[in-house]
This record gives sequence, structure tokens and C-alpha cells, in this order.
Amino acid sequence: MATKFVETRTIRTIGAPRSTRTRLITIVVLVVLLGFAVALPYLGTTSYAMSLVTTIFIAAILASSVNFLVGDGGMASLGHAGIAAASGYGAAWATRQGMDAWGQVTIALSITIVVSLVYGVLSMRTSGIYFLMVTLAVGMVIFGLAYRLSFVTGGENGITGIQRPPFLAEYWMFYWFILGIFVLTTLLLWVIARSPFGASLRGLRDSESRMRSLGYSVASYKLGAFMISGTIAGLAGLLSVWHTHFISPSAAGVHRSVLLIVMVILGGVGTTFGPLVGAAVVVLVENVLSNAVERWPTILGLIFILVILFARAGIVGSTQKLIRRIRRRRSGTPPGDTDLHQETAIPDGELTARKELP
Amino acid sequence: MLEPVFLAQQVLNGLSFGALLFLLASGLTLVFGLMRIINLAHGAFYMLGGYIGVVVAGLTGNLLVAVIAAIVAVGATALIVEVGLLRFVRGQELPEVLLTVGVSFVIADLCLAIFGGDPRTLPLSAMITGSLQIGNLTYPLYRIFVMVVAVVIGVALALVQNRTRVGAVVRAGVDDREIISAMGVNIRWVFTGMFIVGAALAAIGGTIGAGMMSIRPGIQDEVLLYALVVVIIGGLGSVPGAAVGSVLIGLIDAFAKAWIPDLAYFTIFAPMALVLVLRPTGLFGKAA
Repeated sequence: MATKFVETRTIRTIGAPRSTRTRLITIVVLVVLLGFAVALPYLGTTSYAMSLVTTIFIAAILASSVNFLVGDGGMASLGHAGIAAASGYGAAWATRQGMDAWGQVTIALSITIVVSLVYGVLSMRTSGIYFLMVTLAVGMVIFGLAYRLSFVTGGENGITGIQRPPFLAEYWMFYWFILGIFVLTTLLLWVIARSPFGASLRGLRDSESRMRSLGYSVASYKLGAFMISGTIAGLAGLLSVWHTHFISPSAAGVHRSVLLIVMVILGGVGTTFGPLVGAAVVVLVENVLSNAVERWPTILGLIFILVILFARAGIVGSTQKLIRRIRRRRSGTPPGDTDLHQETAIPDGELTARKELP
Repeated sequence: MLEPVFLAQQVLNGLSFGALLFLLASGLTLVFGLMRIINLAHGAFYMLGGYIGVVVAGLTGNLLVAVIAAIVAVGATALIVEVGLLRFVRGQELPEVLLTVGVSFVIADLCLAIFGGDPRTLPLSAMITGSLQIGNLTYPLYRIFVMVVAVVIGVALALVQNRTRVGAVVRAGVDDREIISAMGVNIRWVFTGMFIVGAALAAIGGTIGAGMMSIRPGIQDEVLLYALVVVIIGGLGSVPGAAVGSVLIGLIDAFAKAWIPDLAYFTIFAPMALVLVLRPTGLFGKAA
């Protein structure tokens, strides 16, 4: 179990200094994009398109919770849809009991924390493929419960008529709310990834045995990471039922969890905005392309295979690489250039070929 | 609930379902043991094998021809997947697994396109009909036949692995890839061969299993999960583990469906969770 996970580039980018100009450009681009996102409802966008964009942002929140685990922790979860669905069912059940929005939030988040704890405790001693299978299996338990415990979950038909709080009733209000949550969770994960906790997590990802011999409690770090990721996934699950007013067992299915991993890989593992880009591609293929082409799962599968074979860094990661390469060529590679230093700090081959020491 | 006839019937149900699970799980676990790949397209191979088996059985009325056709078709697919895709990401755990996920998407969707969405079962003309009668107990012969097939294949696998040169090469490959390739064995083709054997076992399971439960869209995820649970309980890479795990899960599943149908799904995962907490490498697994 010593071979490498998906190639990630965070180690290099974090410590290394960036030129102030790069940072300035990044900030300006982000502000412009955010401004555009905020102004979207005013730009004559139809309510269908707004709903689609809202779906993308919710999927992006969920995908970024998976991205955090895979990118920083090296733990590929195939069960995150289960956490989101459990939270959604909590909110749905609370609605059926006649609770108000706060009741829904309380129930949904308590269920999220309990479920994440179950996932975390069962998976914290495993890594690699075993982690993947444990999360897959726990996700299937949730799917099974959603399917069979029909007196709570409504069985195959699911639960309809879930209402969001009155102040979010209009679709554009809800859109801004989702946008706000997306920005907050992205910031939060960005900060956590750059905290000492995040650094230890990447240490675990790169070599569990070395971290253990340095005195780190591997299992508790993994549990901690899972709790953070699970809570965000649960939040996304709640937002999702507020958006669609509906939940059914398929929300917990393996297929959803697999799509989340697809989003993360497509966007670029370990990149800040990879989940958003990946979510956009997947949601658009699923909702728009499916109207035109009947065989969209084939197309999605082929895109996925091609990305894994030829663009391992994902869309965002590959673009970053490309920009860096173009800029270096233009500036004629001055010696001591920080970007160059970043590029060569860890050669590509070493990342994939290096084996963990016993 | 506890009458002898009922109990005997559930035991037989459990054993025959366990036999089907063994056909599935043995392929998964053999491939993992040698190649360290969890083939998440295994369920899709089962599905493809099932559809082809059902169609050919309908045309010829002969189960053996159907099984052979399914093995050839699925084996060819596996060859393409292994040589055309998996070789490019050899040794990289996550990309390998995820590639098989992509393959599973494509195969399942193409199956839907070609064979349609209706559930398919083996035509009666190709099945062993009739039933076994012991006292008050009647039991379909076909399910007994499935058990026999699983035992025969299990014994054959054990003999090949322990008594032949091919088996020795495979065992050596499991223990130390570098040494066996240094001794002049082309381990890449051993991998390819094993991947095809695993897929062929899934194809046999699919065709024969189509007489017990229908092949339909979504079946690939369902059988894959049962197979995963079995190999996690038995220990990844261990064929005896797969046998024990299959019988265990088959029996638990049969009794749970009869006694507590509301929790039928939950009951197969509870033992898995227990095994994972107490013995993370599974009952027969070696530490990774």
C-alpha cells in the first residue's frame, strides 16, 4: 500500500514564496469573478439557469469537502453522498414533524455529526484502497437504510415538500445565500489547509509511518479531517434539499459518491477552485447535455478516463501548469525565479515513483 | 419462523446465493491479490456477461454455449481495458481504481443502450428445471446446480494455484513482483492474464446468476457491493477468505431477508463493520 495517490502539488506551492504581482493578479481575477457571480441574477438570467448555477454551487461545496480529504489527507472517500443524504433526510424528517427552519438545521447538523463520526471511527485505521472501500460500504448502509426504513424515509418515493426558511423563499435570495456559503466554506478549507493541522495532514498523506514515528496520532488526525469534511458535506446535503424540496434514496447511492470523485479529479485534486470547475462540468453534462445526447453517462465516463490518463492534474491544475510554462518562456527563465523554484522542488517522477519507507 | 423445513430452505437459499457471491468475489480477490487493483468495473463485467449469456442462451437454448460466449466477450473487454488503459497507470493506486470506475460507467451505459432497461433472466429452455424433493422440502434444482458450479470452480482455482506452474508464477508474483520478473517471467502478461481470468469469473457468475436474479440496469453496483463486502470480510487477496465470506454473507442475507426484511441491507454491512474494527485486514488477509 505504499504507492502514491493522485499527484498533488500542494506541498510545493504552500511554503514557496509567490511574487506579489502573481498574488495581485489572482486577487483581482477572483474579485471580478465574485462580482460577476453576485451580479448574475441581474444579467437577465432565466430562473432555470439560476437554478442550474445554484445546483453547481451546492455540488461544488460537497465536492470541496471530498477534495479536502483527497487533496490534503490522501483519503479518497466513495461515501460522501451518504453523509449529505443523511443530513438531507434529517431536514426532511424535521419538516414532516412540523419543525421550523432552526429545527431542520439542528436535526440535520446533529445527524451529520453522528454519521461523520461513524464513518470516521470505522475508517480512521485504514488508508488507501481500504479507506475507499470502508467509506463505500458505510455509504451503502445509509442507502440501504434510506431505502428500507420507509416509516422514517418514505422508502423509494422519498420525502417531498421540504420548505426552506421564509427569508430564502425567492430563488435569487437562495442563490446569494448559497454563493455566500460557498465562499465561506472555500475560505475555511483554504485556511485549514494552510494551518499546522493541514500541514500535518499532508505529512500523513505523504508518509504515514514517518508521521507515526514523529509521535503523531495518525488515527486522530484522520478522524479530525473526516469530521471537518463530513460537516461540510452535511451542510451541502441540507442546502441541496432546500434547493430541490425533495430527497430520495438515490441521493445516497454509490453513483452520487462516484460523481463527487469525478468532479474532484476533473477539476484538479488539491486545487482551491477545482471542485467548482469539476462540479460545473458534471452538472452541465448531467442536466444540459443529457437533453441532447442520450448516452451522456458514456460521455462522462470517457471524459473521466481521458482526464485520468492524460491530464492527471485536472482542468484547474493543468491550466495552472500551462500558465506557468507560458510565463516562464516569455520571461526567458531568469535564474532564481520563484515559479521555477516551485516547479523543480519536487520532480514529477519522484511524486509517483517514490515508495514509502517501511 | 423456526420450522425445520423453513430453516432448511433458508440455509439452501443462503448457500446458493453464497455460491453466486463466491463466483463474483473470487475474481475480485484474485485480481487484487496479484495486481493490487480493486476492480470497480467487476460488477459491470458481471452485468455484461449476464446480458450476453441471456441473449445467447435464448438463441441456442444451451447454457454451456451461453457461458462460453459470455466468457469470450467479457474476456475480450477485459483484455482491452487492461492493455489499453490500466497499463498506463500501473502502480498508481487511485488512478487505477478510478479508471475502472470510468470503465464501469461506460460499460453499464452501453449495456443499457444495447439490451434495454427491462430485467432479463435466463430462458427456461437453457435452465435446469425441476426441483429436489426431500420429505416436505422442495427446492429448485437450478440453485443446487449453482452450488455445484461454485464448488467445482473453487476446487479448480485451488488446484491450479497450488499444483501447477502457472499457479506458482502467480503466487510468486503476489509475494514479490521484482524477483519474479528478474527470474525471467514477463509479469505484465501474467497481470493481463489474471485480469482476464477475474473478468471471466464475473462473466460465469453473470450468466449463471441470471437464472437466480434478473440482470437489469443498476445490478452492477448491487453485485459489486456484495462482492466488496465478501472480500473485505474474507481478506483481500485470499480465495479461501472469499469462500468463507461468501457463505457467511449468503446465509446472513437469506435469514435477514426472511426474518427482518426492513433491515435486510443493513445486516450484511454490520458484520463487515465488525470485522473492520476488530481485524482490519479481514479474516484471512495478510497485512498490506
